[in-house]
Amino acid sequence: MIRVHEGGVRTTVQDAGRFGLYHLGMPPSGALDDYSFRAANLLVGNDEGAAVLEATFSGPTLEFEQDAVIAVTGADLPLKVDGEEQPGWTSLRVKAGQVLSFDFLRAGARAYIAVAGGIDVPVVFGSRSTYALCVIGGLEGRAIREGDMLPVGDARPAAAGRTVEERLRPALPKEVELRVNMGLCDYRLTDEGRRSFLESEWTVTPAADRIGYRYRGGELSFVEREQPFGAGSDPSNVVDLGYPVGSIQVPGGIEPICLLNDAVTGGGYVTIGTVISVDRDAVAQSKTHGKTHFRAVGIDEALAARAERRTRLDAIRTALT
Amino acid sequence: MPSIVEPPLPEARYTYGGDEFIFCEIAEGMTFGANFKALAICQELGRRNLPGIVEICPANASYLVRLDPDVIAPGDLMAELKAIEASVDPESASFATRVIDVPAYYDDPWTREVLMRFRDQHQAPEGTDLEYVTRINGFKTEQEFIEAHHGAPYYVSMVGFVPGLPWCFQMVAPERQLEVPKYLRPRTDTPALALSHGGAFAAIYPVQGPGGYQLFAICPVPIFDPKEELPDFKESFVIFRVGDILKIRPVDRAGYDAIREEVDAKTYRYKMIDVEFEPQAFFADPEAYNAELVRRLYA
Amino acid sequence: MAERTVRSPLPGTFYRRPKPDADPFVNEGDTVATGDVIGLVEVMKTFYELKADQDGVADRFLIEDAGAVEAGDDVLVLRD
Repeated sequence: MIRVHEGGVRTTVQDAGRFGLYHLGMPPSGALDDYSFRAANLLVGNDEGAAVLEATFSGPTLEFEQDAVIAVTGADLPLKVDGEEQPGWTSLRVKAGQVLSFDFLRAGARAYIAVAGGIDVPVVFGSRSTYALCVIGGLEGRAIREGDMLPVGDARPAAAGRTVEERLRPALPKEVELRVNMGLCDYRLTDEGRRSFLESEWTVTPAADRIGYRYRGGELSFVEREQPFGAGSDPSNVVDLGYPVGSIQVPGGIEPICLLNDAVTGGGYVTIGTVISVDRDAVAQSKTHGKTHFRAVGIDEALAARAERRTRLDAIRTALT
Repeated sequence: MPSIVEPPLPEARYTYGGDEFIFCEIAEGMTFGANFKALAICQELGRRNLPGIVEICPANASYLVRLDPDVIAPGDLMAELKAIEASVDPESASFATRVIDVPAYYDDPWTREVLMRFRDQHQAPEGTDLEYVTRINGFKTEQEFIEAHHGAPYYVSMVGFVPGLPWCFQMVAPERQLEVPKYLRPRTDTPALALSHGGAFAAIYPVQGPGGYQLFAICPVPIFDPKEELPDFKESFVIFRVGDILKIRPVDRAGYDAIREEVDAKTYRYKMIDVEFEPQAFFADPEAYNAELVRRLYA
Repeated sequence: MAERTVRSPLPGTFYRRPKPDADPFVNEGDTVATGDVIGLVEVMKTFYELKADQDGVADRFLIEDAGAVEAGDDVLVLRD
């Protein structure tokens, strides 16, 4: 068991996600920075999709009741064991009674804390991921808090001191470029609106969370039309449709929202494009108040980026298994 | 009611939603035909059982597919979807579905309490949502609006937003469709199981949470039950599926309370029947077709 | 005078008052005890209490009311 002394501002149990239920309105949830999540599990000898803790902006304070092997990846959230600084992206042995704590965030937004054996909360609809809106999964369907006890599964033998080399860790820049596959209902945009979207400097607002990242900066305009039947009267309304994870919608034209893993699965706002799967990891590590640009790419470039990410993950897999 | 004649469908628009999604817009405007076509394509895709398909999501006048591009190339799936489109003929097809009795308590105190807290986000802050939707649809009394609202059954054209929420399109001709705008700015609160209307759709909120549809009724029976405590939820944690036909049955406060007791005792059973839905028969004489469905449901 | 600071563990928007028309939690010159709420940080659509982690006298705020704050920023300078 792991005893939670302090939960951090929003720390939830996440695994690779809940699939096959999107058509019923169940979002995938799961780790937002999938790359760092998998690396953390590989470092401690877990299956890549095992359940970990995702810590947002601040880290929890955790006491390990048994010996454990752990690793922290993702954001640059400095960690300490019994007050002594320890490296991230490295497997560490902690002894029964030792306490893991974190200092102030330096770069990125979300850290992944993996424990050998995984966080052994019940599987709900095929996943241990937390979907807080419907109180599903994770620890009682919510963020962890003081007094919680987290069960740990049976660990495979895992060595301490294994690390992921620097060049394979995400860059965590302050300014982020997101590659977007324009499409969906982007025919609704005027040329001016499209230019504003792709040329403005956007700022991540503090409201950004696992449901979606909201940006301010430019202003998008829509082609005037008589609204189609069933669409609703605002020009930013369409007949309700499914939203891809990572899709960008623009209610009212001024605050683009990039929908993430806990978002609604569909609705009636204009969607103009989708952040490519690889860059969802970058969204997840974008800082509050950070700057973002969107760059339009086609499907070939999206697939090339995906192949490049797989090469890097394969390098980690090879080094650690 | 005369027969329903819908315009021919335009060419479908296909785009990629990043490398993991394909989005197909059957039409920009809502029609039964657009939904039947989306549903027919999704059903055929499901039957083909292709490796690498992660999600198949029919929607009101469109559909969305999630794929694993490491297993199936997006371009190959795009071609397959276009081939399926060419092969389906939703107008001639009939499909198996269910007719479901859905009790609802109109002008209830719970939605009233919530909507009064959000007047400054509404088009007509001086009254209730029910007064507003009555007026803009040209009815003289709220009772007339209510009767129109439950008088004809609804067809579930999409499930989503949050688990189990149905978009319900009333099975009437376009000129009889009730249309209402959404709130100017969405509420941050809606009671669980509120029965609402937005655009040309009725919707039931499965859980408490934000929402922008007009509020004027509440349902006593859950539509989302993750713990699967009620007998009807043993096989699925949600009740509704795309293609379901709902008959809203108005109940008063006493009726609502009686049903709530059965829900709390975990004994309530939805009344539902299986039917073979025939789009052409429906279009030809919707009033008679609906009356027959309702007759069979309550027989 | 020894200067120490209370830092924000969170990014977001910093507020000195519990509500827009209320008095600030802490004014310059007030005595602050460990655990006292000195302000709110709004992030992810939630308000979090920012508490003093040490005793002292409030000397000056380095983030203005409704100002942007980053994780680790010094918010309030305390003196003995």
